[in-house]
Amino acid sequence: MNKVAAKQKIILFTCNWHAFSSLEAAGKNNLVYSPALVPIRISCLGRITSGIILKAFEGGAAGVCLIGCPEGECRYQNGNQEAREVFEESRTLLRLLGYNENLLQYHLVSAGDGESFQENIDQLVKNIQDNRKTR
Amino acid sequence: MNTFAEIVQSNQAWLCLDCGKCSSVCPITLHLVDGYTSPRLLVEGAVNSGEDRVLEDPLLWSCLTCQRCTEICPSGVQFSEFIHDARQLAWEKGQSGDCTHSGTIQSWMRMMTDPALEQNRLDWIDDDLRIAPESEVIYFPGCLPYYDTVFGDLDVEGTEIARAAVKILNHLGIEPMVLENERCCGHDSYWQGDMDTFRKLAELNLEAISQTGAKRLVTTCPECAYTLKSTYPEQVGSLGLEVLHITELLAEDDNLQKLFPTNSPELYPVTYQDPCRLGRFMGIYQQPRDLIQNLGYQLVEMDHYAHTSTCCGTSCWTTCGQLNKKVQSERLMEARSTGAEKLITSCVKCQIHYKCAQRDPISGSEIQIDIQDLTTLIAEKI
Repeated sequence: MNKVAAKQKIILFTCNWHAFSSLEAAGKNNLVYSPALVPIRISCLGRITSGIILKAFEGGAAGVCLIGCPEGECRYQNGNQEAREVFEESRTLLRLLGYNENLLQYHLVSAGDGESFQENIDQLVKNIQDNRKTR
Repeated sequence: MNTFAEIVQSNQAWLCLDCGKCSSVCPITLHLVDGYTSPRLLVEGAVNSGEDRVLEDPLLWSCLTCQRCTEICPSGVQFSEFIHDARQLAWEKGQSGDCTHSGTIQSWMRMMTDPALEQNRLDWIDDDLRIAPESEVIYFPGCLPYYDTVFGDLDVEGTEIARAAVKILNHLGIEPMVLENERCCGHDSYWQGDMDTFRKLAELNLEAISQTGAKRLVTTCPECAYTLKSTYPEQVGSLGLEVLHITELLAEDDNLQKLFPTNSPELYPVTYQDPCRLGRFMGIYQQPRDLIQNLGYQLVEMDHYAHTSTCCGTSCWTTCGQLNKKVQSERLMEARSTGAEKLITSCVKCQIHYKCAQRDPISGSEIQIDIQDLTTLIAEKI
């Protein structure tokens, strides 16, 4: 696999439950997804903050993806709702800072569904790479 | 960078008389939860034991740099600057205080050091506000557009203050410039000891502002005002124009006359929180009071006011916890005990910190008082 330059990297924050299980399923089934992705597993997507997201951009990431459990299926009840608020707040901050807000993507996936993970993550990566032109 | 011996000497720490006056007024020492520390002990440790002793003291990061201690010190020990210099030393060794708000604010400050950044920060300017591409006056809103996003849930007046400022300036016949690409002034980077970020921000602002040819720069944030007026000339160079906090401009005789041509009707009692940078750092105590009285409010002072005013309890987005909440809650109770119906501030950060403290469910109604910025209060009356 080709090495990805630091400025091409897309940080993928995944929760420990549905989202990570779908990422593992994709791996087990040898489903190929973008080598630009750098997955970071966190206990729940509700753990994410705008500071962590901005830190990724500050460090030169090309984009950030947040993936969590489907609505109503958060292990910790409302982590994905909190993550949604953080996602909106971070997009506003990125817009203020002159970044293209689409460089931050958010998606909810079901456990164990590697194919859906591959399909969705490819789309998120495409969204980010299409929008990189503006920053 | 200065050595530790030079820091002790340049801030006159070695002149400390061990009198303890600083400790008696320090809001952090007063509310300590665990262990005991004080400005006096820290300075004594600096002189007798040296650098390691200072870098281990929790006061190094919890100090509010509010200048209460410096103000009362009979020996002229510059404790706030001592703390700044020691933080700079610590920062260069890889230490830092705990960033609040998950470091979001520190991140955007560092992101703003990118010279190629093109921000979208002027959405707050409504159609009924008049700004000019060139003007003798610059209005510098600072980070207000960003605070709207991060502190929207606290009902903080962020860009409302900026809109109010431009509305008032328009009323006075001034159409200010507002720079599309101003950066954070760097106040918080400076006081955190992150001089690299501070200098980069300051140089970008210096270049952008000095190119305009403006004669005056007005800001609604005391921290921006102090930094642009006093810290920039010391650290990166003078902006070549007059820097004013909005209360200074509005309290000028001509402007007072235009804002309040007739006597205002007598209104309810209010009290006023002196921001540290505006008061003790810049000596501006009377101007906000003149404006409040001209508005018709009956000003009732808290026990600690003007030179002795208490800080709003958190500084440079570093280290906020139980202790800071105690400082804030006690100050809010002091404001309530005056019988005032409103607490007026002229710094958005005081407002953020007090409105955050008011969410404490345990203190409940004991610390509830309406809080408003002086700028928006004036804008409502014109």
